[in-house]
This record gives sequence, structure tokens and C-alpha cells, in this order.
Amino acid sequence: MKRILTVDDSASVRQMVSFTLRKAGYEVVEAVDGKDGLAKVGSGKLDLIITDLNMPNMDGIEMMAAIRKLPGYSFTPMLMLTTESQVERKDAGRKAGATGWIVKPFDADKLIAVMQKLVK
Amino acid sequence: MRQLRQATGETKAWSVLDHESNEGGRQRQNVFELAGQVAMSVGTTTDVVPTLEKAKGELEAMARIVESEIGSVARTFEGLAGHTDTILDLAAAIVGRVENEGVSSILPKVQTLGAAARRFIAERLQATTGILEMVTTEVKLLGQLTGVACSQETIALEIKALSVLTNIEVARLGTIGTGFQYLARELADFSKSVAEDTRELASHTDVGRAAIEDARRVLSAELPRLREELARIEVDLGNALAMVDSSLAQLSRTPMQFRTGVEDIARQIAGVVAAIQTHDINRQMNEHVQEAFALISARMRGAEDSEDGVARELPRAYAGLTIQIYQLRSIKETVANWTSQIRACMSGILKVSAGEVVGIGPAVLEQEQKVSSQLARIELLERESQGYSERIQRTLGGLSNLMQLVSELLQRSKSIRDRLRLLAFNAIIETSHLGTQADVILAISKSIKEISAAWSQITDQSGHAMQEILNLVKQTNKVMEAFSQARNESLREAQVQTRAGLDNLRTAAEFAGRQAQEMKAATEKMQVKIAQVGKTGDLLDACFGRVDAVLTEIESVRLQLEIDQPDVKERYDAAEVEQLFSASYTTELERDVLRAALRGGALPVVQQMSAGNSVELF
Repeated sequence: MKRILTVDDSASVRQMVSFTLRKAGYEVVEAVDGKDGLAKVGSGKLDLIITDLNMPNMDGIEMMAAIRKLPGYSFTPMLMLTTESQVERKDAGRKAGATGWIVKPFDADKLIAVMQKLVK
Repeated sequence: MRQLRQATGETKAWSVLDHESNEGGRQRQNVFELAGQVAMSVGTTTDVVPTLEKAKGELEAMARIVESEIGSVARTFEGLAGHTDTILDLAAAIVGRVENEGVSSILPKVQTLGAAARRFIAERLQATTGILEMVTTEVKLLGQLTGVACSQETIALEIKALSVLTNIEVARLGTIGTGFQYLARELADFSKSVAEDTRELASHTDVGRAAIEDARRVLSAELPRLREELARIEVDLGNALAMVDSSLAQLSRTPMQFRTGVEDIARQIAGVVAAIQTHDINRQMNEHVQEAFALISARMRGAEDSEDGVARELPRAYAGLTIQIYQLRSIKETVANWTSQIRACMSGILKVSAGEVVGIGPAVLEQEQKVSSQLARIELLERESQGYSERIQRTLGGLSNLMQLVSELLQRSKSIRDRLRLLAFNAIIETSHLGTQADVILAISKSIKEISAAWSQITDQSGHAMQEILNLVKQTNKVMEAFSQARNESLREAQVQTRAGLDNLRTAAEFAGRQAQEMKAATEKMQVKIAQVGKTGDLLDACFGRVDAVLTEIESVRLQLEIDQPDVKERYDAAEVEQLFSASYTTELERDVLRAALRGGALPVVQQMSAGNSVELF
């Protein structure tokens, strides 16, 4: 079963991401912020990461940049799930290693379609 | 300021925004009047800062409760989705059965059965038209045969009389008349034979006539009723088949109905998922309003250090408060949208699951019962019709036996006729040798010749009557073929096939019946979950009602600033204010609301998020 990490400081968003992914047959690991997310990455191989941008302790961009430097995570797909839609923010995300960008709220079907494309 | 709040009432909701409705304008006027009455003045941070701190505290408290309640909604929703999955799995199993059992193939079978049944009825309707007429003619012809039997009886007596007369004449003639003794014996034998045949013919003809008469009587009473019944059944059958068509068509739509149900539920689930996420946007907006209140308070406090600092800061604070009033109103509107969306979508999930999807099982059962009852009706019709057919065929069978007998008698009758002719011919030759002495015998011979001619005529009449009866029996039999077993074969075949199809359907229906209990239990659990969401929704509504109280407070402060410094609206730099307050913004909606507030325009329209956004891949 493919393992997905979802990082968000909002419990309800984490719940919705987990609900959607588990329903589609993925194993989901949750983290409450960037720092927690980074720690969870070390706990076992992950196939994809979905993260919020603005979070306490460590934001999503910072976390992505850190993960990209970890061995074995150079090509792991990472999606930013945020309320932000500004081009500058997207550029920053791309530079940090994001594979894609989703403006909240996400569409469950479309998210799953992308997951299936990215995680094989 | 405190006095103004007390005078207007803290919880009273009123609006001061320039673009507001007449009602808002009137309220605004009331506030100005009240403000004039209390004739107070701010100009310091003493009144503004505590109000903002209190409002911030209110929003923080609200956010905590909302976060907890939303968590509860999300958990309830997951439970609801779990029950929905259970129901969908059960319904999918039913639909799978319906598809596997080849329900769609039953419709053509029933249609074939309908066509066969209609043909069956039409043939019987046509057959019944001529049967009564034929049977009536048969009765008439049998009457003729009875007449023939009477004539034969007379002839038998005449032959017997001639035999006696011949014996007397043989005795009178003495030795010369010895040669005519054989004539007397032959005549006596003929008379005996004819009398026996006649009795036999008369007896069987009477029995046959009685049977056919009885059949005619029954048929003349029953046939119109049968015709009426067949015609009525034909109409009923048409209606029944239309019903079966519709039932099976409805049944064959079940998989589609199920798929539509699944799609509907998926849409509603997507709606709840999107709505719960929208809460996160509101949470952030709320936090940004709190941050703005803290920022305004901090700047106001900082401004107190310089002499005209507060006067210089007040326009920025005024603009900041206007922005927060807009943001709070936007939060209210968005919250109203997503809370109603959560309720509507969850109710939608229950409606589709408990109504349309759960209804698939009973629908399968109901349609199977309808189709089976129509099949039973067709079978009953066939049995009734077969009953009439057997009765007519039995009567015709009796008539055929009678005609067999008549045919045998006719053969014997022809032989008697030929022998009578021969006997008459021989007697005439013999008497010619004897001259006038045999005049009486000659007269007897001539009588025999006449009787032979009469006998011949009667035999012909019997032959004609018999032939006509045979023709009629043949014709009736042909017509009755419509009622025959062989002709029912296509109907029987269609019945067997339909029954086999229905057996499969019944298997699916029984399965649906067993699943129905589990579905009902899952539905009840769903209803409990929906009731929980209803309570949480009420709590959320009450919680978000606190935004109104905060709005009233802030609007009141802002109004007081307007009263104290009428030019406060014009003395701030919009670009500077935008930069100051938008730094923490994370959504386009917040930025749009800020711009609307600074322009004094209407609130941006909040789009209902029934579905979420797609993924932009880099």
C-alpha cells in the first residue's frame, strides 16, 4: 500500500485529506506542521507528500526544501495544499521542490486522479 | 464610548456601512442621535483598545469552539461515509445479482410470451366463431339420419311381409313353387338383418344426436361467454404486458439508478469535504482579524507616546476597523454558506442512500412479484381455454365414432340393396318360366325390385348425410386444431423460458430481501449521525452568532471615531493601510475584501464551493 504524508496545522483539513486518501486505498501519515512533517519523513519511506504552506514552527516551503535534500526524496512527488494562490508563492514552492499546487478546498476526485498519476 | 455602548445595547445588531440598506441607514441615524445625546468624545486609546482586545478575545474563544465542533462534524461525517459505503456495497451486490441473473434478458422473453398468448387468444376467438354453426348443422344432419332409420324400419317390415307372402304362395304352388322357397328365406333373412341394422342405427344416432345436441346447447350458452372472456383477457393481457414491460424496464434501469446514486453520493461527499476545508479558510481569516485588532491596539498604544500621535494614528485605525468589519461580514457570509452546505450534503447523502439506493432491493422484489402474477394469469387463461377445447373435442370424437358405425351400416345396406336387386332379377326370370301360375310371385318380385330401388335411395340419403357429417366433423376438427396441444407449444415454450427467467429474478429478489435488513440498520445509524450533525450545526450557528456581537462592538467604535473626528475617513493613505493589514493574508478572498472595504464598495460575492479545486502540476 502506498504511503502518503499529509502535513497541515488544521486538524479538519488533515481529516479530510486522510479520509479521501484512505477511501482511495492509500495509507496516510499525518503531521501537524513542517517540523513534525520532517520528523515523520524519517520514520519510513513515503510515496508522496501533501503539505500546507502557512504553518507554525516550519512552513511548507521550508519543509519541502529540507525533504528534497534527504537521500531518497529527490524525486518524491510533493503537492502544496494551501489557501494561497499568488504566483510568487507558487514560484517559491516550485523552487523548493513542489511537484504541484492545490488551492484549498481540493476536489477529492481530481486529487485522487493526480495521486494515481504521480504514485505508481 | 462605554456610555454609547450602554445606550445602544451591546448585543443590538446595526450597521454603519455607507453602502448598506435603508434599514442600515436608519439604524446608523439612530446611532448618531444616541451619540449626540451622550455627547462623548474619544480621541484617546482608552476606549478603543479595550474594545478591540475584548473583541479579539471573543474571536479567539469562538475559534476554539468552532475548531472543536468542526472536528466533531468531520468525525461524524467519516462515520456517515462509512455507513454509506456499507449501503453502497449491499446495493452493489443486489445490482450485481440483477445483472448476473440476466434480468435484461427476461424482457424479450416476456414479450415473446405476450405475443404467443395473443396469438393463442386470437386463434381461439376465430375458432369459436364457426363452431356453433357447424354443430347446429351436425344436429340437423343427425335428424336426417334418424329419418332414414325410420324409412329403413318400414322397408324391413315390407320385406318381412313379402317373405310371409312368398311362403304362402310357395305352399299354394306346391312342387312347382319349390324353387321360390329360397326367395322366402332370403327375404326373411334380409328383413331380420335390416331390422337389426335399423335398430342399431336408430339407437346410435339417438345417442350421437343427444350428445351433439347437448354439446350444442352447452356451446351456445358457453361460447358467447368464452368469446367475451377471451376478448376481455386479450385486453387485460395487453395491459398486463404493458405493466410487465414497464416493471422490467424499471428493473433494467436499476443498475443505472444505482450508478446515479453512487455519483450523487460522491458529489455530496465532495461537497462536505470541500465545505469542511472552507472552514480552514475562515479560521485563517478569523486569525487575521484578531492579528489586525492586536496591530491596531499596539499602534494606538505606541502613538500615545507622542503629542499628536493618537490623532495621526486614528485614521489608520479607522481604516483598519473598516477592513475588519468587512472581513467579519465576509466570514459570516462564508460560514453561512459552508455550514448550510455541510447540512445539505449530509442530508443529500442520507436521502440518496436511504431512499434511492436502499429502494433498489424492494423494487427488485416488487417487480418480480408483478411479473410472476402476470405469468400466473396467462397460465390460468391457457388452462381455461384448454378446458373448452377438450369438451368440444370429446363431443367431436363421439360423432366420429358414430360416423364410423354409419359407414359400416352403409356398406351392409349397399350389400342388401345389391342382393335384393339380384333376388328380384332371379325371381322375375323364374316366374317367366311358369307363366300365369306365378303371377303372385311375379308381383312379389316386382315389389322386391321397388323395395330395392327405395332401399337404394335411402342408402344414398344415408350416404349423403354421413358424408356431410363427416365433412363437418373434419371441418370442426380443423377449426378445433386451434385449441390443440400442439398449437399451444409456442405459448408453452415462452412460458417455460419466462418462468426460468423469473426464477433467476426471484433469486435476485430474495437476495435483495435479505440485504434489506442490513441496509435498514445502516440507514438507522446514518440517521443518528445526521441528527448529531444537526446538533453540532446548531452549536456552530450559535457560535458564529458571536461574530454579530463583535461586529456591533467594532462598528460602534468606528462610529464614535467618525463622530469625534468627521474627517477621519479622508486622512489615511489607502496603499499604506493595504500594505499594513494584508501582510498576513493568505487568500485572494481576504485581499478582495480589503480592497472593497477601502473603496467603500460592496462585499465580494462568495462563491458556493460545492466542489473543490483541481491540482496544478508544475
